[in-house]
Amino acid sequence: MSTSRDAILTRLRDNRPDPKAHPLPPVARLGDMDNGQARFENSLQILGGQVLERQEGDTLATAIARRFPDSKVICSAVPDFAGTIRIEELGTPQQAASVDVLVVRSPFGIAEMGSIYLSEVQLHDLNSAAHLTQHIVVILSAKNLTANMHTAYMDRPEFHTANYGVLMSGPSATADIQGVLIRGAQGVRTLSVWWED
Amino acid sequence: MKVKPVNHAKAAEAFIEDTAHMDFHDERLWDLRQKRDQQMHILPEWQELRTRASAIKEHTLANLPEYLEQFEANAKKNGIHVHWAADGAEHNRIVGEILEKHGAKSLIKSKSMVTEECCMREYLEPRGVVVTETDLGERIQQLDNQMPSHIVVPAVHKLIPDVAKIFAEHYHTDPNDSSAQSLAWQQRLAARPVILSADAGMTGGNFVVAETGSFVVCTNEGNADLSATVPGLHIATIGIERLVPRMADMGVFIRLLSRSALGSPITQYTTHFRGPQKGSEMHVVLVDNGRSHRLGMEDFWTSLKCIRCGACMNTCPVYRRSGGLSYGAVYSGPIGAIIDPTFNERKYSTLPFASTMNGSCTNVCPVKINIHEQLYKWRRVLAEHHELPFVKREVMHMAGKLMGQPTLYRAAINSTEVALSTMPRFVLYNWLNPWGKHRELPHPVKQTFHSWYKQNRLKNKKKEGESA
Repeated sequence: MSTSRDAILTRLRDNRPDPKAHPLPPVARLGDMDNGQARFENSLQILGGQVLERQEGDTLATAIARRFPDSKVICSAVPDFAGTIRIEELGTPQQAASVDVLVVRSPFGIAEMGSIYLSEVQLHDLNSAAHLTQHIVVILSAKNLTANMHTAYMDRPEFHTANYGVLMSGPSATADIQGVLIRGAQGVRTLSVWWED
Repeated sequence: MKVKPVNHAKAAEAFIEDTAHMDFHDERLWDLRQKRDQQMHILPEWQELRTRASAIKEHTLANLPEYLEQFEANAKKNGIHVHWAADGAEHNRIVGEILEKHGAKSLIKSKSMVTEECCMREYLEPRGVVVTETDLGERIQQLDNQMPSHIVVPAVHKLIPDVAKIFAEHYHTDPNDSSAQSLAWQQRLAARPVILSADAGMTGGNFVVAETGSFVVCTNEGNADLSATVPGLHIATIGIERLVPRMADMGVFIRLLSRSALGSPITQYTTHFRGPQKGSEMHVVLVDNGRSHRLGMEDFWTSLKCIRCGACMNTCPVYRRSGGLSYGAVYSGPIGAIIDPTFNERKYSTLPFASTMNGSCTNVCPVKINIHEQLYKWRRVLAEHHELPFVKREVMHMAGKLMGQPTLYRAAINSTEVALSTMPRFVLYNWLNPWGKHRELPHPVKQTFHSWYKQNRLKNKKKEGESA
């Protein structure tokens, strides 16, 4: 259907260097293989994320209430936490824009980067909710930490199944104005991890 | 019609005159370079990562038609519409048609160098589409009607008062705002309603994975994810060289990209798009625009390995002190100087000369492009094609003759030493010596190495020979 397609592919075939001279290296599994909670927390802090403090007798609800005292709309994307509204009730991005705190569960984190993963599965097909909310609280299990980017891409099936999969490493940030680092640019202003074990 | 070559030296001169801006620019980019070094030293496997990244990219480029076909087949299976654009004009036409079909009048987009290459905004806006850049730096540049001056930090040449003035004019904020925080907040406030009411969203793509039919976008502000997920239509514009074969290869590239670019371990957002969201439409436009031609250039095809981190720009003494806009091209700095001439050899004929040939660009490149060697090779190509300005051509010609003949060279060096110590300034510093602007010529040495060697070592050797 596209003549440009054929023209481009033909030109690439005519012009390319010898494929035999450039073999594909085997997949790399390199670097530090520590997948511990301490490494994850250290990386998370470097990228501006934080661990949601758990005081004696705290539930997720009391911890959120203490951390975000002014928040009115607390949206839950998990079955075991109520919030003030459920993500399924939001329906559109325009409605998601009113959320102060979104609570969501991540299937895995990456110790090297302090990254957490979210896809349409966790976000109930409203992917924009993860970016329109002012703050995000991510429930994570230390059992679901993978060591680094190599192990994440090699071992996690989500990269092959999800239509939308985001690794969030701390909150949104910018240093576009005179090099001043600002945490909380256009997406979430804070990102907190709640350890569930 | 002959286009005029970009006068990089003259534009750089204007940049240098403004000391406050130049000093900040120089220091800010050098700071990024140092942060990159710190990250590099943390990872003992850094050089291995570079070697692998380079090998994966070279393999992919040598097998690009097959990988593009594989990507296309998988992406289509995932429900993505795949388009092919031979050049910028075709790209713009395709995007325009998609928008028209959806009746889309407002497009929000994240930063994409390919759309800059294609001059997409200039095409869409007269056709009634309002295009809004959502990346802070890119938005500043859009409002100021300038090209991005750096591929990662587009407004790095501006200071806070510059931004305050631009925002005051367009966002009606305080023209004397001296806080970067409050200016960034103004951008968030201004962008939100535009994002929420946009008809279509656009992103670029840092990597395209053939195996899964997905593409990966690496950003920090969250604006790319907003642009892709809020409207019901997502168009991604991507250069055909951005492929990698396997998802598992992404580990190598993600570990290198942001560390090389900004000295941060990873971008705040690393987003994998494998298909449309529920109820949405997704389009990928694969753009050639000279890339398939470049693949056939024996000395220059490896420039297609570039992952657009900007490390070569941050380390380059010429870039840091001349500013990205002085290159007069979409791509500036060392990487720009070796790819811009493939777009227009005459227009960008001056850029490969904007280098000290110190090789630092090559040393920091995460995919091991031999940038400084390509700069040198471009100089030869351009000299052969007579694209050099008169003074440079004649001086090079004379230098070539001189350096080819040792006796002549030594005689010249001796007389230069005399000249440097005796000639009046106006003879040494004039239009024939642009090097002497803003620089002092070296102090003449008392003795050249060659004459010292002749006097001492050769004599000693003779003595040794005599005694043995």
